[in-house]
Amino acid sequence: MRPSRREFVKWVTASGIALSLSRLEAAEEPGFWARQTLPGRQGWNPAATGVGRIDGVAKVTGAKLYASDYRAADLPGWPAKTAHAILVRAPDATHVYTGMDLARLTGALKPTVVVTAADLVRAGTRVPEFYAGDLFCPVGRTPIYLGQPVALLLFEEFDAYDQARLKIRDGGFVRFAEETGAVVMPDFGAFRFTRVAGPTPEAPDVYSPVLAGWVSPGKFQNAERPIWTPLAIETGAAYAKAATYGGQIRTELAADNPNLLMLDREFETQSVDPMFLEPETGLAWFDSRREVLELVLGSQSPYEAAEALAYMLGQARSPFKPAAIKNLFAYMGGGFGGRDHTPFPLYVALAGIFLPGRPVRLAQDRYQQFQGGIKRHAFKMRTRIGVDRTTGKISGFAADHVLDGGGLANFSSSVATVAAVAAIGIYDIPKVDVTTVALHSRGVTAGSMRCYGTLQTITALETIIDEAAAALRLDPIEFRRRNALKTGGKTMTGNTYLDSVRTPEILDKLERHPIWQQRAVHKARGQQGGIAVGTGLACTNKNYGTGADCSLGRVEIDPQGRIAIHGDHTDMGNGIGTALANRVAAHLGGVADAVTVHDIESYAPLALVTSGNPYTMNQATQDAAGKNPRWVPEISSATAASNGAHVGTHAAAEAARVIFRFGLWPAALDLWGIAPTHPTARQWEAARWQDGQLVMPGLAPLPLSRIAAKVYARNGVTGAMAHAFSRWGWSRATFPVGGQTNAGQSWTADIDALAVRKGGGKYARIDRSNVKFPPTDNNRIGTVYSAMCATLMRVEIVRASGALRIAKAYSVLECGKALVPDIVLGQAQGGFAMGVGYTLLEHLPPYEGGPGNGEWNLGRYVVARGSDLPLHDLEIEILPPVRPDEPPKGIAEVVVKPVVPALLNAIFDATGRRFQSLPVTQDMLKGALA
Amino acid sequence: MTALTITINGRVVGPVDVRDELTMNDFLREHLGMTGTKFGCGAAQCLSCAIIVDNPDGTSHTSPTCVVSAVSFNGQKVRTVEGHAKNGELSALQKAFVDHFAFQCGYCTAGFLNEGQVLLERLAKTPVARTDLEKVVAEALDGHLCRCTGYIKYHEAVRDVILADAPRYLAKA
Amino acid sequence: MKSETRFQLLVPAAALTLSLLAGYAASQPASNTLALPESFASVSDTGARSVAMFTELGKVLTHPRCVNCHPAGDSPRQGEVGHLHQPPVTRGVDGHGSVTMRCPICHQKANFEPGRVPGHPEWHLAPRSMAWEGKTLREICEQIKDPARNGNRKVEELIHHIGEDTLVGWAWAPGFGRQPAPGTQKIAGALVAAWVETGAACPAK
Repeated sequence: MRPSRREFVKWVTASGIALSLSRLEAAEEPGFWARQTLPGRQGWNPAATGVGRIDGVAKVTGAKLYASDYRAADLPGWPAKTAHAILVRAPDATHVYTGMDLARLTGALKPTVVVTAADLVRAGTRVPEFYAGDLFCPVGRTPIYLGQPVALLLFEEFDAYDQARLKIRDGGFVRFAEETGAVVMPDFGAFRFTRVAGPTPEAPDVYSPVLAGWVSPGKFQNAERPIWTPLAIETGAAYAKAATYGGQIRTELAADNPNLLMLDREFETQSVDPMFLEPETGLAWFDSRREVLELVLGSQSPYEAAEALAYMLGQARSPFKPAAIKNLFAYMGGGFGGRDHTPFPLYVALAGIFLPGRPVRLAQDRYQQFQGGIKRHAFKMRTRIGVDRTTGKISGFAADHVLDGGGLANFSSSVATVAAVAAIGIYDIPKVDVTTVALHSRGVTAGSMRCYGTLQTITALETIIDEAAAALRLDPIEFRRRNALKTGGKTMTGNTYLDSVRTPEILDKLERHPIWQQRAVHKARGQQGGIAVGTGLACTNKNYGTGADCSLGRVEIDPQGRIAIHGDHTDMGNGIGTALANRVAAHLGGVADAVTVHDIESYAPLALVTSGNPYTMNQATQDAAGKNPRWVPEISSATAASNGAHVGTHAAAEAARVIFRFGLWPAALDLWGIAPTHPTARQWEAARWQDGQLVMPGLAPLPLSRIAAKVYARNGVTGAMAHAFSRWGWSRATFPVGGQTNAGQSWTADIDALAVRKGGGKYARIDRSNVKFPPTDNNRIGTVYSAMCATLMRVEIVRASGALRIAKAYSVLECGKALVPDIVLGQAQGGFAMGVGYTLLEHLPPYEGGPGNGEWNLGRYVVARGSDLPLHDLEIEILPPVRPDEPPKGIAEVVVKPVVPALLNAIFDATGRRFQSLPVTQDMLKGALA
Repeated sequence: MTALTITINGRVVGPVDVRDELTMNDFLREHLGMTGTKFGCGAAQCLSCAIIVDNPDGTSHTSPTCVVSAVSFNGQKVRTVEGHAKNGELSALQKAFVDHFAFQCGYCTAGFLNEGQVLLERLAKTPVARTDLEKVVAEALDGHLCRCTGYIKYHEAVRDVILADAPRYLAKA
Repeated sequence: MKSETRFQLLVPAAALTLSLLAGYAASQPASNTLALPESFASVSDTGARSVAMFTELGKVLTHPRCVNCHPAGDSPRQGEVGHLHQPPVTRGVDGHGSVTMRCPICHQKANFEPGRVPGHPEWHLAPRSMAWEGKTLREICEQIKDPARNGNRKVEELIHHIGEDTLVGWAWAPGFGRQPAPGTQKIAGALVAAWVETGAACPAK
């Protein structure tokens, strides 16, 4: 879709910098957004007939799509030549940094500009709170983590940059002096989650986080670690109460009770890298004449990146402060959480600001990506579980989690809480006490990575569950069945799930599967020969949604019935564009052929405003703010927490419903000759689309193109844009869509902002007449949305070498309505591979031996290849939705979770050894079988 | 410095002076703007950067471009992902990748396409038995890393292109 | 590329017995040195001197730069700890790789430092008969002398192979991130020559 004129869409941030987007460039050169709007009206749309993705053709033809594809010459209006930047990082965090050996870079190799901490002070930049910590380590300080940036080197010529990077990478370029040891910093967050159920399932809880609020322990003076015991002086009464109940739970677990099986196990997991194939890359051009900074970036959190950039430069001194920042967000070569809230965009912007007038490219190579990219947290966990020997029911659970958050805080605090709340998985346990703390260390920064801490805790859980079942001589599936949380049951935080809980079906599927049925036969086969055979399973769930999820969507239909969609969620491979097209097609009868994702700016008519923090604000504040019809708790959020299907497509779907109800439907009635007062006129929900035609019982089917022409002819609604917000439940508002001519016509839906366009006109905002935001108390909830996935597998391990082969595997999952079933299937297959790599292959040592030293690449870091996987022996089953209109659930993360413990449980079955740490390498397996 | 001439997708490029240490990957992406060929690791581990080299004897092979110099391709004929489609018509393999949903983020796709294409051309010259097909495909593709897909749909797409034209690619039973 | 440091070891004139040799080798401050043949002159027994020199040569033969391409299986190894070559490759029919992954595709005619990939015009795996991985010095010694397993060479031809062959010589100039083999190729060649001259005796184990 090519807009016909320049549209400058501006909003002004608190720092006074206008964030805007120019969406049309010169006609000859396809502009950025034209390239990113797919499939585009010129070519084949595979999604139209369900035979491919909207980005399918672009990706098989090598089209320019990713941030790393763009050079200045590809962007209309930019100077043609690209300069290049190197972000220099410290490979040491225990000595004082004294500077760089710039003498290596002389003559043609000399950088045009060197940007250091001193330059940032001079420029007056600020560090956004989320990224607190020096953007560059100043000379004379010890870096706070391995890989902390120390400088940017900017080169006007590619050849100079290319030769310089070879000169500086072989060690010794970044210089250090006296040893100080690591910088000690406070922990990133500590929490305790305690629940004591009432005497019956229906009775209210005695104590829970939902009832009492979330609590954190205090500290003693300046000690590094929190104090978990309830010392009233340091910790406060609220924490003391939780800790007292928690202490009782632990006492009961430790008691000498012959009727209680108590297992006390430790489990340790390793740091791993998301290893998305496209290293982080960006392009920046500071046009100092217009005072506009333009950037090309790839980010899962575009709105957050835009805000962080505006904040960083918001009080900069002239000539370092732009009047406006234009962000162009591109398709990403993988994400997995590693492109969500990363500091990389800040450095891209700095490169541009310090070489004004010249477009600059900052591209990490893979060594640098390993050195500076966000990692998965390494966890140390201690888990205690108590099971009643008579009933086989879990009576108590206590766990202590310690996370290595690395150098910057990033999401560590949040990961700790989500992981803790997920620690009891699918089970209903009446007494639970979990402590968690995320520590700072000098290691590489850990943050969001697929599963967000819950992969670690589910691994500890599903292996201890397996051990408990074995100790009680209970069938592992029966044990899980007995303890599974039922629909309506309370979670660890004390709330129920709002969506379907399908544990019984999933467990039945596992039980009936041939891999499970034949396990004894195969195990016996293994006992005679040179291979050991074992079968294992795990059953898991994962929340989707973050508790403050936003969705922005804009949908338009043209006179020929062609559909365009804009959405603020992002594509890192998850196929959000195709999901958007399919979900909108259900309402509008046609698959969009112009889908623009990562678009945070095309919604200006909504004129949204926001304030405060949706996670922490109180009800009174929210009520007062919500009186402004343009206020929403948050404007746009990251594509994370498996929220693409449920959240990312929501606003566009709602916009499509408005177009149908107020545009297509009245036009269809007109074509059918049905008066607006006729009873049929109110039955718009009974209409169905079939093969591009609108079908109503007893009426002639109408093709979409005919209806669209009619909408334009009668100046009906042809476009809508909406905003939605979910805090474990959608905001809901009423909009007087009919306006004055149709006074009775109002529209109530799960959105909180709406603008519509009639015919070929402009968008006009419709202020909501009332709104109900989800209560702020919902912030006490762990999650209300959960999807399940279970995995069953049989492994064969060669005794002599320890080489493991997955002979057969089966994963079964449920996702509500699958918007694009082939993509769900692909996610499950990819998640399986990631789980295998995490269990058997991937490992990053902490600290000096790890990637912070700048020496790690693939080869040393091993991810799963095709030959590591059961390519023809992995069966994935996706359960149909529980009812035809079940909304979509997010599954991108849950499909990884059961793979890890299933593999460990299968390894136990084959070897008799329960491993307590990851990865389990070939050598370890060989040792176990020796 | 060397005066470099390469035929890329049938078009002669050069002679152009390039540094001897310039990688082929940078030559394609920086100098020619042909960013269909990707950069993944710079260590010949992932093969996102792989292109097709057409040998004088009529065979072809894939080569990484990240660890080899541009000048080492002097005088050679190569194909990149941009050259697969002819006159806007996708190749059978490209169509199969699309309709099999073979990729997700798509960053490794160019490498897989080049490898798959070389395999098809090799089988057309020396067909294999149907019973060996899965193994042959697996061996051909195993050098390519993918982090999104778990590889299965890539393998199925390549296999299905071969099965759809069995007389060409498979040995007579 | 690391510069090569050469150490000239000065051996005390006092008699060295066989039993001290192990301690001698272990006590050297840097493991990347190679003793000259002359330094064994004090070992009066010819057989013992021959064995001593072969043992010294063994530092080269069992060094990762050599063992990585003389593996026991069908895949080369990499690095100082000898992990399996990544990406996974196999010897194929001729030791030069499988059909789809031929060695010279990545390993060019010389080390390519921008990619940190080692190279040589003849880059390939040693045949299975020349596998040394996991073998004792005695086993390697017998194997290296056996024409059936050493490429049909007379023992004198090993002087050229080890002392002058340029693929072997790569081990001393392997490129960044790889420790060179001990000493120099010249010293290694001299050790082979001296070992051959003294009867090419093999160690007891």
